[in-house]
Formats: sequence, structure tokens, C-alpha cells
Amino acid sequence: MKSYKVEIPEEKLLPEAGIVKAPPPNGEQEGMITGCWRVLRPVIDREKCTMCRSCWIFCPDQAIQIAEEKMSIKLKYCKGCGICANICPVGAIERVPELDFEDGVVRLEKLF
Amino acid sequence: MGTKKFLTGLGATATAVKMADVDVITSFPIRPYTGVMMILSQMVANGELDAEFVHADGEHAQLSICHGASAAGARTFTGSSGVGVTYAFETYSPISGGRCPVQMLIADRTLDPPGDFGSEHTDALGCRDQGWIMGWAETPQEVFDNTLIYYRIGEDPRVRLPQFNCHDGYFVSHIPGEVAIPEQSQVDEFLPPYQPVHPLDPQNPVGHGPQIFPDQGPALEAMRHNAMMAAMPVIEEAIDDFGRIFGRKYVPFVEEFMTDDADFAFFINGAHAHTARYAIKHLREKGVKVGLVKIRFIRPWPTDALQENLSKFKAVGVIETNSSFGVARGGGILTAEVCASLYDAAQKPLIASFMGGLGGEPITLNEFFFIAEKLNKIAESGKIEKPVYWLGFEE
Repeated sequence: MKSYKVEIPEEKLLPEAGIVKAPPPNGEQEGMITGCWRVLRPVIDREKCTMCRSCWIFCPDQAIQIAEEKMSIKLKYCKGCGICANICPVGAIERVPELDFEDGVVRLEKLF
Repeated sequence: MGTKKFLTGLGATATAVKMADVDVITSFPIRPYTGVMMILSQMVANGELDAEFVHADGEHAQLSICHGASAAGARTFTGSSGVGVTYAFETYSPISGGRCPVQMLIADRTLDPPGDFGSEHTDALGCRDQGWIMGWAETPQEVFDNTLIYYRIGEDPRVRLPQFNCHDGYFVSHIPGEVAIPEQSQVDEFLPPYQPVHPLDPQNPVGHGPQIFPDQGPALEAMRHNAMMAAMPVIEEAIDDFGRIFGRKYVPFVEEFMTDDADFAFFINGAHAHTARYAIKHLREKGVKVGLVKIRFIRPWPTDALQENLSKFKAVGVIETNSSFGVARGGGILTAEVCASLYDAAQKPLIASFMGGLGGEPITLNEFFFIAEKLNKIAESGKIEKPVYWLGFEE
């Protein structure tokens, strides 16, 4: 019986079915940095924030973490979808144009 | 050894699923396959089968639950018919690409519209590109055997692909036939427990189905292709081993009947082969040199075996119980693949398609005699008058 198998060059081989060991929780993926997609940056007003963690739960990208007992946004990955601002029960999150920031992603010459 | 029972195709499937000690079963009702879930749920309720029986909220959910369960290492079973099969369509590629050896019973049913419970193969054949092992059983015995054989092939570490275990709705699913039920020890010898390679495991977390960039695509597709190709020798081994343990020796890919000195042959898939054999016996008594070629696996398609088998005929009539409106050459799905199989052959038979059994109608002996008449004319004249005939509409 003829074999219709295809020879795949060694350097092009990939893990089977793309299955890889899962990165640890809150691990980072250097191949898919999405912070540069952002046009509106979420800014948390520390006075208003009650640490209810709603933004943390609803962020679709796990781009909100709790660092030093404060809600903290990972600007490397936040895509600026605005769900956190929308869901915050006390309106502590404002969406500010990236252009307003010195380090705004829209100003970067080299995106990350 | 073992016992003999009079079982329908669905009863045979359920018995085999029980003996295969399946771990997770997902159900959702649609005729005609639904009876198998009635039987399996009773077995689980009676304690005859230790399995998680999940009532899914739709066929898409049935398959998705099986995907997760299989990825975690469970031997899974599900099923559907007709538009139920197409409802779950999105899930088929992720399951086969994820190398989860789920088994799905497809008791064929014509696709809507309108509602027709009769059997056509389009529901399953429509999924032939999704990377699943696929084949038809003709009798309840074959259904029982295929259930075990497909798990064995699909779970083999060299293959690890899901399987569509197909049989014609009503003709096979509901009409009982004699089934030899083996001893549990024989089943255990033939079918070892499922050993997943990358199971979802909290102690050892892995990511299944990640996002990739296009440049990683070709290699992943090629690896899936190779897995399907690896199934071919595994199928031969499994059929061989099955014959040794259970005493029923099947031909792995292409079954022939009275083809020895045949001028032309019927090419067929599924239950109507049963009637075809009676027709051939009648025709042979009248001196017509006709034979039957029945294909046992649609995926992986046995290109070389078919090329070898069909080249010897002057004419081949492909009996199509399916529809693919607008398909090349205007017939059905199988003709296109048969023609491709013969493309590289030094000697090619003349091929005509015969659309038969559509809507779930039986293909009658007279219709087979009609096919033989047409093929005879083609074989004698060396010319194809019409590439496609619709049985029942022709004079």
C-alpha cells in the first residue's frame, strides 16, 4: 500500500495539535502582545475604588490584577475594550485617550 | 463462546458501547438514532453500565461535552441523525484536530427540508472533510463489530482520531438481525483501555487548541493528514486482530461479491448492498456478468485498493444515496471520489452514477436490474450515454 504521508522538515515541526504545557496563571505570552491595540486607556480612581474586584472578574483578557492591595491594569495586554469601566459599580474607571499620555501606545515608535 | 441475540442496529450499538465500558455518554433526541440513548440510559439506570450519562441541550453541546471529556481521558460516545449531525458541525474539526477519539453514531437521516425520517448518507458524508474516521455498517452484526473496531482504531496511539460509526436509519437502525455477542473477555482482549497522550490534568496543566499564526498552519495540517494516513495500516491490523479474536474476518477496505469474471460492477456504500447482492444473484443466474464492490471506509478513503479493484471492470455504476447539488459530473459525492481514485490507473472503467434510495426509499430489485441493463449497454458499446441516472424517473 502506497503511503500518502507527507514529510515535514524538522525545523517546521510543531507540538502535536499545538498542545503545549500551560503557562502558569498570570503568565505572559511574548508572541501576542496586545497592549498596542489600545486607543482608550482605563484609569482607576483610587479614591473611588472599593476593591470589589468586579473589573478583575469581567476583564476578558485577565489584564487586571491585584498588586500591592490595589487593582492594577497590565498595560502590556489591555486592549482597551472598556468592559471594566462599564461594569465598575462606583464609576471609578475612566477611559482616557492614549494620546493624552506621554507613554501612550499610539505615540510609541516601536510597539513593545 | 458468547450468545446470539436478535437486535436492531441501535440495540447492537448499545450492547457494544456497554461492553466497551464507555465512560461518558451525551444524549439529545432525534430520530432515528435516539433509540440507542433510550437503551443506554436504561443500562446506566440499572447499574449495567457505569458511565456518566449527560443530557446535552443540543447536538452541538453533545459533541462539545464529549470533546472536553475525551480531552480529560474519558472514552466517550454520542450520536445523532440528519440535521442533528449538521447542527454540531462546528465541533468536528476541533475534536479531530485535538486528537480526541470520540465515537459518534450516525444513524442516517435525510437532511431537512422538509422533515423526512428516511435514510440518506448526506448527513454523515457532509462531514467527510473534518478529519474523522468514517464508515458504514450494513447489518446489526456489522454495527456491533464496527463500534468495537472503531474505538480500537481511533484510540490507537499512532492514530488518535474520532470516528463516525454510520449506518442507514431504519433499514439498519430499526430492523433487527442476528448478532453474535462475544464474551466480555474477548472484548477486553481486543479493546484495551484508552490511554490519552496529553490529557487535561490539573496536576500537569496543558493548553489545548491555542491561537497560532498562519506560518504555523501548514505543519499542523500536515501532522493531521499524517495521522489519518497512519490509520490505514492500523485499520488492517485491527480487522485482522478482530478476525483472530472474534472469528469474523472482514475485508478491511473494499468488499467484493461475485466479481471474479464480472464485466461490470455496482459500487455501493451502506445498507442497500444487501438488496444489491440478491439482485446480482438473480442476474448471474440469467448469465449477466455483474458483481458488487462495497466500500467499508469512506475516511480514510482507500484510493489504492479501489484503483486495483475497479480497474478490472469495463463499467462501474456508482450507487449514490446522497446529494451534493452541483457536484462535479452532476451525480453524487461518491462518484467524484471514485473518479479521483481511478485518475492514475492505467486502465479505467467507464463510470455512471445512479441516484437511488433518496429520501429513504428502498432501492428495489427492479432498480438494480435497470442499473445492470444500463451498465451492460455501456460495457458493450464502450460509450456513456448519460453520466447520471435518477432511479425511478427513468424509462
